[in-house]
Amino acid sequence: MYLMADILINVILAFLTGSLLLGFHRKVMARIQLRPGPPIIQYLLHSLKFFFKETSFPKTASMPFYIGIVVILAGIWVTGIIVGPVTKGSLMIIFGIYAIHKIVEHNSGSSSGSPYGKLSCVRAVFSAAGELPLFAGIAIIYFVCGSMNISDIIAYQSIHGALIFKAPFAALMFFTLILTKSPYSPFAITKGKDIVSGFETEHYGFLRGYIMFSESIAWYVLLWLFLTIFFGPIGILGYVVGMIIITAITAFINATTPMLNPNHSVMLQFTITLVCLIGSIVLLVL
Amino acid sequence: MEIFYLIYVLAFIVGSIGGLLLSYKKHMEPFIISEIDVLYLVLSIIGWILFINHSLFAGLIPVFVPITIGLLLIGLVIGARPGYGRKESIIGILIAGIIYLLKFLLF
Repeated sequence: MYLMADILINVILAFLTGSLLLGFHRKVMARIQLRPGPPIIQYLLHSLKFFFKETSFPKTASMPFYIGIVVILAGIWVTGIIVGPVTKGSLMIIFGIYAIHKIVEHNSGSSSGSPYGKLSCVRAVFSAAGELPLFAGIAIIYFVCGSMNISDIIAYQSIHGALIFKAPFAALMFFTLILTKSPYSPFAITKGKDIVSGFETEHYGFLRGYIMFSESIAWYVLLWLFLTIFFGPIGILGYVVGMIIITAITAFINATTPMLNPNHSVMLQFTITLVCLIGSIVLLVL
Repeated sequence: MEIFYLIYVLAFIVGSIGGLLLSYKKHMEPFIISEIDVLYLVLSIIGWILFINHSLFAGLIPVFVPITIGLLLIGLVIGARPGYGRKESIIGILIAGIIYLLKFLLF
């Protein structure tokens, strides 16, 4: 009973906080580009607005998939909340959630029948390279802590200090993943503006609302994971300040960096992973 | 504990939406008036003092009350139409910060 209440509270909290952070992300990007930018709550208002807008369905859409896929997207990130902040479970499940997220991007694009969606669907396969830093990072964390459970990693850090000092390259790899997931990211090839909005292009009304709901939760979960895994038990103030700082850093990078083309994006992610993996192994051996 | 965090976030969001509606009602002109708004300034100072110095009220009222009211008022000012509420927020943070430091140094 309490677990259900805990999950519900955490999901609502993640949605609201994630939305505010994404609104802040947009605001910082706008200020860097010398625009006033929308209010911080704009992302949240947009998300809520889409739930009440008329929903139209393309004739070319493969209906069960077209609708079901956004529900799956919301479902996997709610699972992310359950595995992360609620139960502090295994990082391997988080890796699985991220892998399913890629499949959702792929299927969401292909099920709409739109050429933009289909291009995004192909790019989603490429962008699975974004999982390489996550997997390599998790492997390094396992070698350092001897466990993949978030609760064990927190316990390890409360004794041995923050992991960011012991495994800085793993933190860099995880940060690359966060950067990949951020809006207007140089690595966001599935939502590149050359293909309008990628896999989201043909999703309107409440379907887009579900996608935005999931994206806010995903942003919150990734930031929570990064802060928990690399900074340990930091308290509510640490989480708030940390989330705001990371959002501002990603906004700065995204505002000043063009979107890479798919080949460059994949190769850069691969190079970062390789360099950081070798660096991490050297640090572990030393 | 998360229920209190949810209340804080909701208070900030309600404040922000209220601030946005209030500022658009107050300022419909197509340009920004850069003068300091006294109402926003008062709300900002009270809000930031309640938020940062909530420990001053410990023992009198539950600690989540001043934080919630503070965030609501902070949201009202920060959530104003783009271009408004910035200077007022900075003055509010400075005054609340000075009070926090004074409290820290004196007690």
